[in-house]
Amino acid sequence: MKLETKSLSVKLDKKEIVHQATLQVEDGAFVGLIGPNGSGKTTLLKSIYRVLKPSGGVAMLDGQDIRAMSHKESAQAMGVVSQFTNLNFDFSVEDIVLMGRSPHKGAFDRDTAADYQIVEDCLRRVDMLEFRDRSFLTLSGGEKQRILLARALAQQVKILVLDEPTNHLDIKYQIQIMEAVKATGVGVLAALHDLNLTLMYCTYLYVLKDGNVVAHGTPEEIITEELIREVYEVDCQVMRHEASGRMYVVYLSRSRNKK
Amino acid sequence: MKSKSRSRKTRGAATALMILIMLALFLFSIVLAVTIGSVKISLYDVYRIILYRISHIHIGDFDWHIQIGDLETLVSGTKFQIVWNVRMPRVLMGAVIGIMLAASGVVMQATVQNPLADPYILGISSGASLGATFSIMIGASAVFTGVLADTGTAFWAFLGALAATALVYLLANLGGRMTSAKLVLAGSVIGSLCSSFTNMMIYIGNDAENMKSVTYWLLGSMVSARWDKLALPAVCMLAGSIFFLTQVRNLNTMLLGDEAAITLGVNLNFYRRIYMVVCALMTAVAVCTCGIVGFVGLMIPHIVRAFTGSDHRRLLPCAMLAGGTFLIWADVVARVIIDNTEVPIGVITSAIGAPIFVYMMVRKSYGFGGGAS
Repeated sequence: MKLETKSLSVKLDKKEIVHQATLQVEDGAFVGLIGPNGSGKTTLLKSIYRVLKPSGGVAMLDGQDIRAMSHKESAQAMGVVSQFTNLNFDFSVEDIVLMGRSPHKGAFDRDTAADYQIVEDCLRRVDMLEFRDRSFLTLSGGEKQRILLARALAQQVKILVLDEPTNHLDIKYQIQIMEAVKATGVGVLAALHDLNLTLMYCTYLYVLKDGNVVAHGTPEEIITEELIREVYEVDCQVMRHEASGRMYVVYLSRSRNKK
Repeated sequence: MKSKSRSRKTRGAATALMILIMLALFLFSIVLAVTIGSVKISLYDVYRIILYRISHIHIGDFDWHIQIGDLETLVSGTKFQIVWNVRMPRVLMGAVIGIMLAASGVVMQATVQNPLADPYILGISSGASLGATFSIMIGASAVFTGVLADTGTAFWAFLGALAATALVYLLANLGGRMTSAKLVLAGSVIGSLCSSFTNMMIYIGNDAENMKSVTYWLLGSMVSARWDKLALPAVCMLAGSIFFLTQVRNLNTMLLGDEAAITLGVNLNFYRRIYMVVCALMTAVAVCTCGIVGFVGLMIPHIVRAFTGSDHRRLLPCAMLAGGTFLIWADVVARVIIDNTEVPIGVITSAIGAPIFVYMMVRKSYGFGGGAS
C-alpha cells in the first residue's frame, strides 16, 4: 500500500506548522522523516493519522483520501505508534495489545484464539512476551513503547506511521524495534531523531525544517555535512565505516548559538 | 512473573463467573430487601403475596396463580399494600436507578478518560435538577396537556440535562479541539451555573410546598416509587444498558486516550457525542424520578474496577449490577435507619460511599489513574 501526501498544510492556532508537505511512502519502503525539534514532524504525522485536520492538501492511501475513509478502514490499513501515551486507567499488557485487533472487530465479535495468537506473536516480536500479564502502568517508558509497537503490529496494517519509536529506548531495543518494524515488510513512515539509525534502516528520507520539506532523497544523498549544518546547526563529519561499509555521523561540536 | 498467560477460555470463564456472582448478589438483594421495612411483616406473608402476584397468569378464561393462605390478604389489606405497592416498586426502582447511574459513570469515565468523571461532574444532573426545579417552582408542566402533563417534570429534567450537556460540549469545543480536560472543566462550570439558577428559583419562588418537593428532589429519594413510575426508568435502563453493553470494545479503546482511539479506528467525536447523549438521557431519567443520588456514578465504577480491572467487558456489567445492588441497600437503610422517618437516599449513598472511597484510595493496589500503583 502506498501512502502519500500532496501539499499537506496544517495550522495550529492559526499558525501554519506544516507548509505544503508532499511526500510518498511506496509499498515496503522505510521512509524517515528527520528535522530538528519543532520542525513539524509530529504535526505532519498527526494530520496523516487523522488526529489533526489539515488546513490544505490531502493525505492518501493508495490514492484514496484518508479523511474520506471510515476510521475503521483507515485503522485497518494504517497503524500508528505515537510519542506520548498518557494512560489514566490500568490495563494488562495483553489487553493493550489485544486492542490492536479492534479495528477488525464488529460490536458483537469476540476475541478468537487467532487474535490471541497474533497478540502473542506480536509480543514476541518486541521481546515482551513474558510481560503479558503485567499491568501496563507499571512498565518503564521503553517497555511501554515496545508494547505500543506490538499493538500497532497486531493491527496487521499495510502502513506503519511511527513518531520517534525509539524514544526512551536503550540501544539494544532501538535496534530491536527498528528490526521488528523492518521485518514487517510494510511501508513505514517514521519520524526519527537518531541520524545513525536512519542511515542504518531508512530507504528514503524527507527533511523537514520550519514546516517545509527542504530536501528528500536516499539517506546517503541527504545526510551530508552541509545539510546537517544547515538544518540542525551542528557541525559533523559523515564517514564510512570500513568493515560494514555503512555511513555514520560523528558530531563535532555542540549546537552553535545563533547570533 | 507468570510467563504463561491465562488462556482465553479461562479469562472468559472468569468474566462469566464474576458477572454471575454479581447477578446472584443483585437478585438476592431484591428478594431480601422487600422483607425489610419499618413495618414488620413476616417473611411468610411477604413471599406469599409476591408469589401470588408474579405467578398470576390471566389469559381469557384461563386464570392461574400460586395461592398460599387466605386470598383476602393476598389482594388487599395493609400488608398487601406495603409489600406489593410500596416495597416492591421501591426496591425495583433502586435497582433500576442504581444500574443507570453506575452505567453512566463507567461510560463517562471512559468517554472523557478521566477517573473523576461521573454524570454529575459533567453537569448533566445539575441541568436536570434545574429543569425539574423550573417545572416544579414555575409550573411549566401546566403548559402541557394530555400525555405531556404526566411527564412534565421528567420532560423538563430531561430537557435541562440535554441543554447542560450541549452547553458543556459547546464550551469544551471552544477555541479548537475538544480535550477531556476541557470537557471536565466545562462540566463543573455549567454545573455550578445551573445550581445557581436552581437556588435562585427556590429562593424567589418561596413556596413552602414546592420548596419541599424541590428539596426532596435535590437530595434524592425513592419515596415516590410506584409501579406506574417505574416503567419509564426501566425502559431507559434496559435500552441504555443494552446499547452500552454493545459498546464495550469502543469504551476500552477510548480509555487509551484520544489519539489511540482514533488510530484504532474509533470515530471519537461521533461516539463521544452519542455516549454523552445516552448518558444524559439515562441520568436525566434517573434524576427526574429520584432526584440527585450522589456518589453511585463515581464510586461504584471505581470500586468494581479494583476487582475487575479496566476491561469494560467485565467492568460494565459488574458495575451496573453493583450499582443496582448498592442502591437497593442504600434505600433499605434510608427507610429503616430512623424510625418513622425517611432519610434522603443521597445522604445515605454519600455517607456510606465516602468512607469506602477513602479506603479504596488508601489501598495501594488500585491507582485510580494517577499512574502510581
